[in-house]
Amino acid sequence: MNTVVPALALSGVSKHYGQVAALRAVDLTLARHSVLGLVGENGAGKSTLISVINGTVLPTDGELRVNGSVVAPGAPLAAARAGIATVFQEQGLVANLRVHENMLLGRERGFARAGFLGTNATAALARDVLNELGIAIDPMAVTGDLAFGERQLVEIAKAFALGRIYPVEPIVLLDEPTSALSDKETQILFNSIRRWRDKASIVLVSHRLSDVFAVCDHVTALKDGTVNGHWAVADATPDMLHEAIVGRPRSAGYYKESEQREDLGEIVLDIRSLTVPGQLRDVSLSVQAGEIVGVAGVLGSGKTVLGNAITGAIRPAGGEISIRGKRLKPGSRSDALAADVGFVPAERNIAGVIGMHSIEWNLTLPSLRSFRFGRWPVLSAARQARVTDSWIERLRVRTPGRAVQIRNLSGGNAQKVVFAKWLARGIKVFVLDDPGRGLDVGAKEEIYVLLRDLARQGVAIVLISDNLPEIIGLSNRIITLRSGAISAEINAPAHDKPAETAVVPHMV
Amino acid sequence: MEAKVSQTAITAAPPAWRKWIAGNAIALYPVLVILALVIFFSVANPNFATFDNAMNIGRQSSVLLLVALAGTMVIMIGSIDLSVGSIVTLSGIVAALTIDAAGPVVAIAAGIGTGVAVGLINGVTLISLKVPSFLVTLGMLSILSGIANMICGGSSIMFMDLSLTDFVNSELIPGLPTIILVALLSAAALAFVAFKTVLGRYLFAIGGGEIVAANSGVPVNRYKVYAFMLSGALCGMAGVLLTAQVGAGTPAAGANMLLDSIAAIVMGGTALSGGIGGPQRTILGVLVIAILSNGMDVTEVSSFTQEIVKGLVIILAVASTIDRKKYPFIK
Repeated sequence: MNTVVPALALSGVSKHYGQVAALRAVDLTLARHSVLGLVGENGAGKSTLISVINGTVLPTDGELRVNGSVVAPGAPLAAARAGIATVFQEQGLVANLRVHENMLLGRERGFARAGFLGTNATAALARDVLNELGIAIDPMAVTGDLAFGERQLVEIAKAFALGRIYPVEPIVLLDEPTSALSDKETQILFNSIRRWRDKASIVLVSHRLSDVFAVCDHVTALKDGTVNGHWAVADATPDMLHEAIVGRPRSAGYYKESEQREDLGEIVLDIRSLTVPGQLRDVSLSVQAGEIVGVAGVLGSGKTVLGNAITGAIRPAGGEISIRGKRLKPGSRSDALAADVGFVPAERNIAGVIGMHSIEWNLTLPSLRSFRFGRWPVLSAARQARVTDSWIERLRVRTPGRAVQIRNLSGGNAQKVVFAKWLARGIKVFVLDDPGRGLDVGAKEEIYVLLRDLARQGVAIVLISDNLPEIIGLSNRIITLRSGAISAEINAPAHDKPAETAVVPHMV
Repeated sequence: MEAKVSQTAITAAPPAWRKWIAGNAIALYPVLVILALVIFFSVANPNFATFDNAMNIGRQSSVLLLVALAGTMVIMIGSIDLSVGSIVTLSGIVAALTIDAAGPVVAIAAGIGTGVAVGLINGVTLISLKVPSFLVTLGMLSILSGIANMICGGSSIMFMDLSLTDFVNSELIPGLPTIILVALLSAAALAFVAFKTVLGRYLFAIGGGEIVAANSGVPVNRYKVYAFMLSGALCGMAGVLLTAQVGAGTPAAGANMLLDSIAAIVMGGTALSGGIGGPQRTILGVLVIAILSNGMDVTEVSSFTQEIVKGLVIILAVASTIDRKKYPFIK
């Protein structure tokens, strides 16, 4: 038996929402000065568990102890006093405030003199915390001016600042910290976490098994609200974790490499010397029918800009884009759409689907005119319903019906609707920016199957992603972007996939 | 065993009518408010719940309904048109100026044309100068009021040709004043446009998520202009009807329309943030405002008190009807 008192210990924690059990008798232990990985599919209960720990959700049953003493359940302030701080997936910083103001937001009371805030004191404390953590960010900088990865670091620093106010060692809950970071930023974050381990105890929630192996000491897998496995990372293998998360062994060929097309059709998308000042330099690329070309690069490498240029969202300064020999008008979205270019944007909820509208309304939007009665502007309700239902069935969107609002669907099902939007319209070129973002392992696999289907039908696919294994696994060919220019072109045939180490050097 | 399972299934699933009510609660709230108001005023004054008074309410609120429908089309895309009342005023004056010289058909066309032109200017200014609709139309409100006062020089514009006046007061369907018929037909036509046409769906899509709409091939800017033109056309029509009803073009005709129309739209359930609601909801919101005004007239509440009561009722009604899940922030 380990006699050392753990930093955080949960025993028998359950949470029921009516008849639905989100958590069932979960036991969890976080040893002091260690990093615990918490993995599981969407809906496995990870977020609920984090909310129970930080006091924002009142558990139905169970006990939470910090350093051996019981913390009142469902009380955010009690949790904060015990040193528990959460770094959320959706960033919780106010963009127009300065870094030090954000770091002490809601905790200003001790710094006020006669009701006025002493800026010097908060700034000094913030600077001290940032220095201690080795984060090179000016506490006086306006938060909104920082890059995404930097803001994430500020969030973490905010958690440590809390430890200065309440004299306790922080327990930092990182909720999907890497999902929106580039590989380089992820590396910076992981290096920092390793350095902070002697100052804090950390729980890291992640979709990515690679995160667990990179930085965690222990890992706990959740499945359907229960603990489905707990290991010291040194004893675990990716396949063991995968099985614990999904509930079945990883299918051979997660990326369906065996379905990768090797006999490619004619060139569909042809990009010549594309240039966007400061973002893209002289990028030339052609994609054949049935081919998947992966675009890899760190944040700021120009990979998202490339996607936006192809879909006409931005107007390049030079170069040309042709689809099946027809030159597109630069920066014209309607021209790109007329040439059947479909687009799956990275920010699904902002650019991909309208959450307040039904599946039907979202799905029919790009092809709406085809539902008219002849040339009349009137829409056929019956045809819209029929087409929507058929795509719900074909893509196996899990929903009670076509009238359900998108925001009530899981991320994976919403992403299927984004795909269905374009499939219902018919496309020749498909540009995808991080299509697996925020999806669990199972949902990703279904998306990969869809991509293989599209390639088989002769669609030319440009796959932009931060997820290197995904790019390598899915693509026929990989191009890497560095500072806006193509730095390498790497073939990735199904039988001879390049290693990550062969790709990364061209990105950084 | 099997019987037991099916029994739990029955008790677990709420009855269909209950589900329908849960799904349509927002649409039902205004109906409840209307019922409450009707019962209250019927008790307060027996003359309230009469057929004649119902037609009175209809006549008084027909113009407001058109203006509120106009505002609805713009609020659907998440913008707002503050110039609706001033378009009513100007269009009414234009109709009053043209009817004697050119006849009623030209007067109608000129009035509606004025509204469409203002809507076009609103929309084009919005998209080309990238100024929020709130400010563009606030400026337009001031400009149009100035023009209206300049034309009128402080007095009303009278006219001799009463053909239009006779028409709105006639009863094409016996018992139903034609002005009510026109307003209701317009509402029905707009509900059809909103839910059964490409235009309507595109307006909802722009309001629900402009970036998503643009990504999906909706010509966002063009359809924004259409929304403002449609709003202008409806306000122009409202102005013509109001002038016909009153018998003169006056520089303050549409002054109170703005607040009442926005109150009616929001009370009906069209979110100010856009993307949901629609013309059918607005009809109920207008009814609330109209019944309230008429009821207080009938029960001889002073006009100053009426303003206070109306303000209170609007705040309360909106507070109890809006679906806060659809507003991420209340600002």
